Amino acid sequence: MSQLILFNITNGLIVGAFYALMAIGLSLILNLSGVINFAHGGFLVIGGYLSYTLTPYLGFWGALIVAPFLTAIIGWLVERLLIRRVYGRDPLYSLLLTFGLAFIIEDGTRQIWGAQGLPVSVPAALSKPLRYEFFFITGYRLFMVAMVAVLIVLLFVLLRYTRSGIRVRAGTLDLETVSALGINVRALRSLNFSVGIFLAGFAGVLAAGQLGLDPNMGDGLLMPSFIAIIVGGVGSLTGTLLGGLLIGVAAGVTAVFFPSASDAIMYVMMAIVLLVRPRGLLGEEGMLS
Amino acid sequence: MNVLEVKNVSKRFGNLVAVRDVSLTVKKGELRAVIGPNGAGKTTFFNLISGFFPPSAGTVIFEDMDVTDLSAQKRVVLGMARTFQITEIFPELSVYENVRIGAESAAGFRLRPWLSAVEKSEIRNLVDETLALCGLTDKAGRLVGELAHGHQRATEIAMALTLRPRLLLLDEPTSGMGDQETYEITQLVRRLHRDSNFTIVLIEHDMRVVFHLADFITVLDQGALLAEGTPKEIEANPAVQAAYLGKAA
Amino acid sequence: MIKGRTSRLLVLAAIWAALIAAPYWMPLFGGYTALGSRVLVLALGAMSVNFLLGFTGTLSFGHAAWFGLGAYGAGFCLKWFALSSPLGLLAGTLLGGIAGTLLGALLVRRRGVYFAMVTIAFGQVFYYIAFQWSSVTGGDDGLRGFSRQPLHLGFTTIDLLNNADAFYYFVLVCFAAAVGLMGFILRSPFGRTMIAIRENERRARFLGIPVELHIWIAFSLSCFFMAFAGALYAELNNFADPRVLHYALSGDFVIMAVMGGMRTFWGPLLGAIVFVVLQDYLSSVTVNWMSFIGILIVLIVLFFPRGILGLIRQRSAA
Repeated sequence: MSQLILFNITNGLIVGAFYALMAIGLSLILNLSGVINFAHGGFLVIGGYLSYTLTPYLGFWGALIVAPFLTAIIGWLVERLLIRRVYGRDPLYSLLLTFGLAFIIEDGTRQIWGAQGLPVSVPAALSKPLRYEFFFITGYRLFMVAMVAVLIVLLFVLLRYTRSGIRVRAGTLDLETVSALGINVRALRSLNFSVGIFLAGFAGVLAAGQLGLDPNMGDGLLMPSFIAIIVGGVGSLTGTLLGGLLIGVAAGVTAVFFPSASDAIMYVMMAIVLLVRPRGLLGEEGMLS
Repeated sequence: MNVLEVKNVSKRFGNLVAVRDVSLTVKKGELRAVIGPNGAGKTTFFNLISGFFPPSAGTVIFEDMDVTDLSAQKRVVLGMARTFQITEIFPELSVYENVRIGAESAAGFRLRPWLSAVEKSEIRNLVDETLALCGLTDKAGRLVGELAHGHQRATEIAMALTLRPRLLLLDEPTSGMGDQETYEITQLVRRLHRDSNFTIVLIEHDMRVVFHLADFITVLDQGALLAEGTPKEIEANPAVQAAYLGKAA
Repeated sequence: MIKGRTSRLLVLAAIWAALIAAPYWMPLFGGYTALGSRVLVLALGAMSVNFLLGFTGTLSFGHAAWFGLGAYGAGFCLKWFALSSPLGLLAGTLLGGIAGTLLGALLVRRRGVYFAMVTIAFGQVFYYIAFQWSSVTGGDDGLRGFSRQPLHLGFTTIDLLNNADAFYYFVLVCFAAAVGLMGFILRSPFGRTMIAIRENERRARFLGIPVELHIWIAFSLSCFFMAFAGALYAELNNFADPRVLHYALSGDFVIMAVMGGMRTFWGPLLGAIVFVVLQDYLSSVTVNWMSFIGILIVLIVLFFPRGILGLIRQRSAA
């Protein structure tokens, strides 16, 4: 029994780390631009499929690096051409715009890569279990968690120590002042959006290795990301990270006792947080409330 | 009788103390002006009185009732109405509709699915009277968003009046207006005070308006109470002159 | 003023005349009666979303949940409890409306983009429940094995199941009742407070209106209307599956409202007609209909944010 629980907690942490990666990208965009990116799951799918297409030429490792960058470039173009036009308008419009975009991306993916799911293989070194007793901790899962950890640490370092990163954080708190200081908010938002999409693309490549590819795969990953943000607190990236890990573990532990309720538990957590602490675990009072 | 008693209120935002230990008593029928140089904490002080946010310390008493912990909305229901420095109206509705929403809310009809003919005519009379008092009768059918600034402000005051407030708080009623509009609003406030006996506290920038209207003046500087007295006393007060001249220089 | 009122009455008369005559003129344009019923039901959903969005200024992007609960509620009732179309509608309306009201209490302190996000996430709860709890809901296959029942009026019995026109008129009567009630509420003192909150929440608060309570009531009413539409939808299809609870459908309702003109009462009806007919047509001619719908949405957001009626109104004002 205890091994089973341990299994599920570990599993939950792995899944949670993955949710967090997705959610942090969403959260970055939401915080600076006030846009809930419905198409985030779509960009994840693009990242996954691009890596699938690139692997024969670049190998697994090459695709792992290049596919997220290509996704980010697509994201940058989308921001320049479309998203930018709805900044400052009622949030309704950014929601609808990205909602429409998600339709287009899903259909486009199906058109290019086919409606059938595609299997994805990962290097043999990563697919073996590490030890027999802990059969469930395959190298690939550890690798996923390690990559997520590296990316998140890197992101936090960039946000803290680079000029653009500091500007993004300042813009999250008080966009008016930032723009009054003569900082180019448009360029900052473009950059920030691309970084968010980069994370989505990366998540897509990692997910493909674990789950295979399917044009709808972004859909099931979008809701946990929303919940991670709400539980963690809107406006706080650390909160989003914490929220992602928490719902992952909660889902994992619930799976031991009530397998069929493991999806629902996230929603229960969200309801409890909204009741007891409406701004979320680490959210600022009044932020977007 | 005291309509408003503010006792030693303070408001801190992080490290910044916006209002420091300010007290104020307003009697029934009085018109009190709160003045002070920019950044003196006037609007913050107003927000504490009207319940926009709670004070960090001190109490606010309205007609012998401690309202310190009550929300803004509850204070309105008790009889405290206010206007804002930047006019807060319903821009896409007509002047009549703006004022009617206030009248229906004040009459306790806000949750009602319908009104009887008698109730409807009561509301209509109240709205018509208030519009006439504020000189808006000929503007009743116009969308507020399309009116001149002075008329928007008058509409906002009319909405506040439908609540039949026993304390009316006006935050810079003439801000951003030309001479003609300033004059009209000043006359309106004067009528409300002299003829209709409203108890009024107002923040004002324009000293002509203040000295023309106020019975008593409270001067704030850097969040604290600097002086209090009749317009004559304030005019002669060297500390007030220093505060204003110091800022001007 | 009088001219405005006359032209408004004329428009109203035209709308109802067109709806009443629909089974006769639709076939001329290649339509069929069941499509007309579908348009009406989805239009009622879009109008319920707009009741909240257009008139209280509160965006729920998870309203399919209440629509879907209405559908399942009607299905459960017809399958297990009572073989009666009206009772099915009642059961669905109560299930979705009450669930929405309860969850609404958790939501009303949130605003704007945060409110939208929480409504989406809560809406999905019911999607997962319907998906997972297959012993009750039929899971992914959907709830089957029920059908709408003949309507007994005492003096006569109307066969709703096999007579498509009869069912269309049944839906139209339900639609008229719900829409009439909506219009009535919006013209009431309470309705005016909703509009006040949309226009300026701070001013509403400083007129003594308890904003959270009023948003909650508006949200709750909107959920009941939505659930009623959902219950009709189940009786239309004799079937309910988890997709009626999915946020993608919520998005469809919002886009119908925006496309038609969300600050207008009848806009969502127009939006629903265009959207449903277009979707029906596109999905019959191309497998890539999703892209077309997506592009349509993007174009509306970028170029016609006020919707069709908003545009007409702007034109006539200029």
